[in-house]
Amino acid sequence: MNWIKRLFRVWRRETRLVFTDIGVLLFFFGLPIAYPIVYTLIYNPEVVKKMDTVVVDNSRSAESRELVRELGATQSINVIGYASDINEAKRAWHEKKCYGVIEIPADYARKLGRGEQAVASFYCDMSLLLRYRQYLFSITDVQMNETLRITSQRLSQGGLITSTIEGLPVNSQANFLGDVTQGFASFVMPGIVVLILQQSMLLGITMIAGTSRDRRRRNGGVDPLDYNAGPLATVLGKSLCYMMVYIPLAYYILEIIPYMFALPHVGTFWNFMPVVFVFLLATTFLGQTLQIFVRERESSLLVIVFTSVVFLFLSGLTWPRYAFNKFWYMISELIPSTLGMEALIRINSNGSTISHLGHYYWGLWALTGLYFVTAVALRYFAQGRRSQGDAVVPVSESHPDNECQRREGAEMGEI
Amino acid sequence: MLLQIIKRELRRLTSRKIYIFMMLIVPVGFTFFFLNLMGEGLPLKIPVGVVDLDRTSLSRKVCRSLNASELIDITADAESFHDAIEKVKGGEIYGFFYIPSDFQKKAIGGETPTLSFYSNMTIFVPGSLSFKGFKTIAVSTSGGIVKTTLVGMGANEQTVGAMLQPVVIRSHPLNNPWLNYAIYLSPSFIPCLLALIVLLMTVFSICQENKTGTSVEWLRMARGNMAVALAGKLLPQTVIFTSVGVAMQAVMFGFLGFPLNCHPLNMIFAMLLLVMACQAFATFIAEMLPNLRIAMSIVSLTGILCFSIAGFSFPVEKMYGGVAIFSYLVPIRYYFLIYIDQALNGIPLYYSRFYYIALLAFLLLPALGLRRLAKRLENPVYVP
Repeated sequence: MNWIKRLFRVWRRETRLVFTDIGVLLFFFGLPIAYPIVYTLIYNPEVVKKMDTVVVDNSRSAESRELVRELGATQSINVIGYASDINEAKRAWHEKKCYGVIEIPADYARKLGRGEQAVASFYCDMSLLLRYRQYLFSITDVQMNETLRITSQRLSQGGLITSTIEGLPVNSQANFLGDVTQGFASFVMPGIVVLILQQSMLLGITMIAGTSRDRRRRNGGVDPLDYNAGPLATVLGKSLCYMMVYIPLAYYILEIIPYMFALPHVGTFWNFMPVVFVFLLATTFLGQTLQIFVRERESSLLVIVFTSVVFLFLSGLTWPRYAFNKFWYMISELIPSTLGMEALIRINSNGSTISHLGHYYWGLWALTGLYFVTAVALRYFAQGRRSQGDAVVPVSESHPDNECQRREGAEMGEI
Repeated sequence: MLLQIIKRELRRLTSRKIYIFMMLIVPVGFTFFFLNLMGEGLPLKIPVGVVDLDRTSLSRKVCRSLNASELIDITADAESFHDAIEKVKGGEIYGFFYIPSDFQKKAIGGETPTLSFYSNMTIFVPGSLSFKGFKTIAVSTSGGIVKTTLVGMGANEQTVGAMLQPVVIRSHPLNNPWLNYAIYLSPSFIPCLLALIVLLMTVFSICQENKTGTSVEWLRMARGNMAVALAGKLLPQTVIFTSVGVAMQAVMFGFLGFPLNCHPLNMIFAMLLLVMACQAFATFIAEMLPNLRIAMSIVSLTGILCFSIAGFSFPVEKMYGGVAIFSYLVPIRYYFLIYIDQALNGIPLYYSRFYYIALLAFLLLPALGLRRLAKRLENPVYVP
């Protein structure tokens, strides 16, 4: 009973610390609320359309013009004009007036007329793979349509075969699952938001810890705002506080944001809930483990911020995890955001349920256990060391509650 | 005077582990991580499944050609469509190929059966690549059947080829014909991380003086001249960061042989300018908001946003106008454009002139707030 009371006290103290510290509030609320919106705004155009393209038409025939018309009518190509030769086109590319060049050879129409294969060239700027991919889709489409059109024409003219074969003997049909629009925001956002939840929480937790260390340094080894409750109750009480803040935020990020921007969103919140819960719990303990690296309030930023990029790549969103080598694969399994993202994007975009995602779900529980142990152990050793130090510094040997309150008031005034 | 401050700064940099950790270990470690992770260039062998309901010689032939494709790797034989979908939902496979039960009968009878394939676009790269792999096989299967029929009817093979594909549009991906992901991502993401660290460390080292109250001593050494004080503080960092940056470039362009189609000095100079521009940018933030926490928060938020706003993956000209404009407010955007022009495409330096100038222009920023910062540093007050 007493233990629960202490746990509750830790929770109350931590909640007060969170809500009186503008720096922590920025991370706990500002970041998770604003960043999803900012990111979606960046990527919201979704699909790259109508990329400026220059044509070099050496054939100057009805057939070549037909091809250019077809290309220009596709979703991704916008023909901005004709260049007299490839050098002029190159110049336009150098000046970033276009990102692709179509070159039609002089014998294009002649070859088509003779029933031979006509080859046109497409040159693509490779600074962004997204542009190339988008171009490629359109060009493949046009090539297939032209093939069908010309083949059927030739077949009927040539009389080689009668109309037994129309088009191709086998149809193929492509279907997309998940992000059916293939938009960029629709792909990036469901994953990124998971990382935002984790990183903002880590930033906040480590900042709280750094601030406490700063206070301890100023107060001769004692943090007047610390509530001494034993390692277990302290770790759990703090986690309780962070969970209380983050579950509503998770609702906002996983439910409201997709609605606001019409992102793919198949899963329901009740499907998300178990994964979100354990993911956040693992993160609270990870944060309390990482605290040891943070010696002062501001170095939390130094230590945590760059890990966002590392964790993003470890999550497999950009470079899929099956292509990792064993070492990085193992490291990536240790990060809550990796497992959380793998599970949550599939719930969000594929409508998976927890029964599909057992591997990730139980993996998250394992991480929760692991980081819980490390967090409790670190706190145990830290408290042990501190109480040894206390024996040397008589000022902090005992600090009755009333004295603590007084100091706390002074501290708050200073802030 | 300047020399003394430089000496003092070097002492400070070596006095705390966090400086060495952030300025050397993190950038070098990240470079290794990034390049090692994407060592293969393309994530081949995507785990996919096949649903073969036909189970005839023709359908097995399709399966064999699927298995022979380097893009995909059949890891699951699904019993049914439902089974395959479940496997996609569980993340076991990234897509599957579906052969209907009367495939061979229809194909031979000239009835046009349909091969379908499903790619999970929830994760972009494996989704697109499996799509590409599936489509290639579907089209070549179809072509193969026609070819066999036509050759059987007595047409010669060349004519058949021309007949099946009368128009070919050959794609030439310029300067990265392998579509290598490491080449595409590393030369932008790795310097961007360095830029983030430069921003953070510059603000940290300046505002730290304010927090600990050592700024008075620092300014006194410069005899109250803020510009000299800043130069003395930042120059040693410039040298360290630029060396780290050039080492990153050396690993990518030299050791790993990523495309470097310009004189190496063009890129080295760009790296020096990037480091200095970021220092100037951060100094400006520190001058405007001389509070350690606020300034650090601002630069880390911008530094992280740089990865998206600078247009490494989504083209800036297709973003909303009001968003795209921010792209041109961060130094890394200009470094990225220089990299594209010079190292990747190797076009004349003339076309990149404005990007170099823009980076140089960042160096003027700190001049705006020197007095404001000096005033603050003379009377250091720590606000948490």
